[in-house]
Amino acid sequence: MKYVIMIHSNPEPWGHPTSEYLAAHQELPADVRERLNADFEQVMTELHANGELVVGEALADPRTARLYRWSDGAPLATDGPYSEAKEHLAGFFLIDVEDQARAEAVAAKFAGPGETVELRPSMWPGGSDQ
Amino acid sequence: MWRREAPHVRAALLRRYGHPDACEDALQDAAEVAAARWPLTGLPDEPRAWLIRVASRRLIDRMRAEEARTRRERLDAARQPDAGVVPPVDDTPVTGADDTLQLLFLCCHPALSRPSQVALTLRAVAGLRVEQIAAAYLVPARTMTQRLSRARATLREAGARFTMPPPDALPDRVAAVLDVCHLVFSEGYTRTSGDQLLDVELAEEAIRLTRQVHAALPDHHEVTGALALMLLTHARSPARTDAAGDLVPLADQDRSRWRRELVDEGVTLLGRALPHGPVGRYQLQAAIAAVHAEAPAFPDTDWLQISVLYDMLSRVAPSPFVTLNQAVAVAMAHGPDVGLALLDPLLADPAMRGHHRLHAVRAHLLELDGDAQAAAEHYRLAARLTGSLPEQRYLNRRLARLTSDS
Repeated sequence: MKYVIMIHSNPEPWGHPTSEYLAAHQELPADVRERLNADFEQVMTELHANGELVVGEALADPRTARLYRWSDGAPLATDGPYSEAKEHLAGFFLIDVEDQARAEAVAAKFAGPGETVELRPSMWPGGSDQ
Repeated sequence: MWRREAPHVRAALLRRYGHPDACEDALQDAAEVAAARWPLTGLPDEPRAWLIRVASRRLIDRMRAEEARTRRERLDAARQPDAGVVPPVDDTPVTGADDTLQLLFLCCHPALSRPSQVALTLRAVAGLRVEQIAAAYLVPARTMTQRLSRARATLREAGARFTMPPPDALPDRVAAVLDVCHLVFSEGYTRTSGDQLLDVELAEEAIRLTRQVHAALPDHHEVTGALALMLLTHARSPARTDAAGDLVPLADQDRSRWRRELVDEGVTLLGRALPHGPVGRYQLQAAIAAVHAEAPAFPDTDWLQISVLYDMLSRVAPSPFVTLNQAVAVAMAHGPDVGLALLDPLLADPAMRGHHRLHAVRAHLLELDGDAQAAAEHYRLAARLTGSLPEQRYLNRRLARLTSDS
């Protein structure tokens, strides 16, 4: 089953890994920070080795985005960011795992202070005729 | 030719040398030599023996080179050359059915996750290329390669052997093989789009694999049942999508398009397995599919018999999904309100409350019961919850029909 894990974050300045640029993460005691980083490294290695990681990308600063809105029957381009919200989409991972429980366990390992991790199932092209 | 022979050659190599990775490399070497040579020289008299010979030679060459390197590195000058490197090569013929079965047992080893068992089975037994398996499961080839090497490493770590499992473990191991075959089948059968570029039909691969298991275990009635189930279900394939590629539910399928030869074969197999009892879940599911297949049109369906079979199934292999199907059958046999009552306990189950199938069935039964408003509400909920694109389109169509009528 395929899931997208989206990291909504607001690193200052914009940078990756986002945790290095988040005050809430940097304020943690060193040993906690190290444990979180090690957990993340481990789950990435695991995803890779198991053939569960399909693709992952870190995204550029939301201010580099170009937005296209429909205006008078034609696309009208403006500069980003897309939303005024505090957090922006900073990166995403497409994983293909055995079940929802595994997806949830993986997504939980991506969580850290100062950001929101969103786990969304992707649609598949099959279906039952019953 | 290669597809047919590769599993046998692989089995012969594994049996003699172990080392799944080394065997795989040698097999690829032999395939390349064959591809280069056969078009020029024509097919050898016994292609399988030829391939085993060539692959064995490559394997031994590599093992010797490896051994030599290790020796040099250890500066162990005193060692006898070639001592204990590999067992002697023999050319005893491969007994097809047993080798295939042992290979399936190895691929469906309990140390592996289901997706790994599936990937390894398609690679090693069905002989599909990594690119084909990756395309079938809509992942990049790189991801599938990782999955396969991880699976082989797990087998090595678990000390899995290419032998028959002990008799007491056999029932579980056969069940795992059947589940993997059925999983491959379902993946193929339930797919309505997205595989147009695919040169592999997973449902047919699964049937081919299950035929091989059946050939090795002709008196295993659940194996026969699983094969019958797949044939009876696959028979509906030509009717299950419309011209636009959208899903056609069983009730609306044009039954003249069902593949009668598959129905007949499934019914015959089932007729042979059923009288031996006790019946397992695959035999029961096949029996249900057979009752559907025997109805000339949907209104002719013998729902009473189907509801009895689901009742048996709910004892042999209870699951919320069996209850859901049972509720439909009971509703058709005894009225929608009786079916709806069966769903009530499922609504209390937190895991099922968020599952689209429960709401889709509930919507359908409410619609039959004449409660359009409640039905619409559950169609909407089911459409929101489903992860299947064609099911979502179907549920949204039902919803639109109900809301435009009122």
